Amino acid sequence: MSAKERRRHFLVNKPLQIRYMLTISLLLIIVTFISLASFYFGLWGDILRALTNEQLRNDLLTATRLQQYEESRYPQPGRTDEAYSFNRQVERLRERQQDVLKGVLDQTNQNLIAKLAFLFFLIAMGTIFLSHKIAGPLYRFQKVLDEMERGNLTVRCHLRKFDEAMAVGDSFNRVLQFFDSAIGRVKKITQEDEKNPDRLRSRLNEELSKFKTST
Amino acid sequence: MINLIRPSAILLVFFLLSPPFSLFADTAKLSEEDRRLLEKVQRDSIQYFVVYSDRETGLTKDSSQPGSPASVAATGFSLASLAVGQARGWISYEDAYRQVRRTLQTLRYRAQQEKGFFYHFLDPKTGRRAWRSEASSIDTALLLAGALLAAEYFKDTDIPRLVKSLYEQVDWRWMMNGSGLVCHGWKPESGFLPYYWDSYNELMILLALAIGSPTRPIPADAWQAWDRLEDEYNGKRIVYSHSGSLFTYQYSHAFIDFRDLNDRGINYFENSRNASLANREYSLSFKDKYPSYSENSWGLSASYGPAGYKAYGAKPGQGLHDGTVAPYASIGSIMFTPDFSLQAIRFFYKSYRDSLYGPFGFRDAFNLNKKWWSRDYLGIDQGISVLMLENFLFNGEIWKRFMGLEAIQKWVRLCKLDLKETAIPS
Repeated sequence: MSAKERRRHFLVNKPLQIRYMLTISLLLIIVTFISLASFYFGLWGDILRALTNEQLRNDLLTATRLQQYEESRYPQPGRTDEAYSFNRQVERLRERQQDVLKGVLDQTNQNLIAKLAFLFFLIAMGTIFLSHKIAGPLYRFQKVLDEMERGNLTVRCHLRKFDEAMAVGDSFNRVLQFFDSAIGRVKKITQEDEKNPDRLRSRLNEELSKFKTST
Repeated sequence: MINLIRPSAILLVFFLLSPPFSLFADTAKLSEEDRRLLEKVQRDSIQYFVVYSDRETGLTKDSSQPGSPASVAATGFSLASLAVGQARGWISYEDAYRQVRRTLQTLRYRAQQEKGFFYHFLDPKTGRRAWRSEASSIDTALLLAGALLAAEYFKDTDIPRLVKSLYEQVDWRWMMNGSGLVCHGWKPESGFLPYYWDSYNELMILLALAIGSPTRPIPADAWQAWDRLEDEYNGKRIVYSHSGSLFTYQYSHAFIDFRDLNDRGINYFENSRNASLANREYSLSFKDKYPSYSENSWGLSASYGPAGYKAYGAKPGQGLHDGTVAPYASIGSIMFTPDFSLQAIRFFYKSYRDSLYGPFGFRDAFNLNKKWWSRDYLGIDQGISVLMLENFLFNGEIWKRFMGLEAIQKWVRLCKLDLKETAIPS
């Protein structure tokens, strides 16, 4: 990239660029905030609920009871001591806590995925809306230029109220109007002074002198 | 062969000569007061399944203790009890139908299972496996027995279709793990448990449903593969369970009418009657040491106790006991020992009502030595009480419905259990 082509000023259209920067930043902040909040509160909310004193007491009772069920159904000769039973209860409780935490994480992730999917959908819709504000005018400029290429200078670029490039569109239309009027006048002069070549030349030169060209 | 034929012939002669079972005559003789008491116990016990079943999933908690997971077997008893409750007019048809349907839909579409076998304990809110429990063969069988029974009460609804799909999805043969016996269960972490249903206990309902399965049955040979260990107590010959717990002689009998079934000379109804009598006599032999035991206070079966849940029982068998009596055990034997059971129920209610009876019927157990009274109820213990009382009060109502099931008839036929078919030609 040559030094000439290198851009020195990135904020060439401050209001437009700042508006877009704020919009995109806001979206990212919302996504990040919702993700973090869901994760934090979902995770901690569930963990705190799962690990209340009451819940722990219930789990302890259930672990004991299930161990007793197992010992009743599958008596283990030589393994009837309390230490063995206690160890098994602790093991059950540990497994239970692991399963509870895994369940909480799975649930939180599922909730997060659902929320993020919804947010991404909203962002996708928002992106289409935002990009349409730029893509719409570009499309219309292109159509007008196509018409101009075919020699039609009567067309104008009509932008919507909230489309970006309103100012460019106005300038574009003014330029079009200028060319339309100039070419119109040339055509009129040609018709009026068809039988007076000197006057025709003089008026055409006057008209064309308004244009600055490369050749 | 002669060894098999002889007891069968003796049994047949005994049945032909003996008067009809006194069961229904006893029911007819019931005083109005007794009938009201039994109905109250039954109605209150059913309330356990209304209150302790999750409103969203219908899954029933194992016990009334806070934090209890849902139990698949308790859920089976719940389905059966709700059906009974609406038939008696204690629950509206609509409410019972909705709860049964909700439960079956949870089981069909949400509850965690392996090859049709449900995990022993489930999270009552989600139906997910709880406490790393095993996919359990016996608990699934009790669930299905309850579901099949409920389907009989809601024939003109979509419930039979749901139950059929649950039953048909069970791969019973897989649970044999290549052996001749059915395994107790399977865990994702360690595979099949190292325990098999290899001797007499509550296994008969499991085998009946496994052999009678319309889709993935186990071979009928499996019926002969388990041990019928016999021993004697006070002159009563009993095919006994290892623990000697009374519930092992009751669960299969809540659904299956064994009175006319002959298994190579063994009549399991008579066997349970003898086991119930032995259970009572065994506790009576310790009545001087344990004041909980008396002529009208008996019932040694797996229950809560002062030192936690224990497989209490009598001889023959392990015979573990410490003075703890479980009222559900004597209620559950009411088909076998109507007079003794009725006396016990009267006694428990009149003598211990304040400490032992609550909004959901009798609490689980008590022990006078330790001055200990259970505050809790166990779903399966309330369930067996409901079903046995229904059989007793309404002329074997559960049996009539359950014995008509195609699966049960198939099991009877394949295992040659029908008394008439096994009669010896003269």
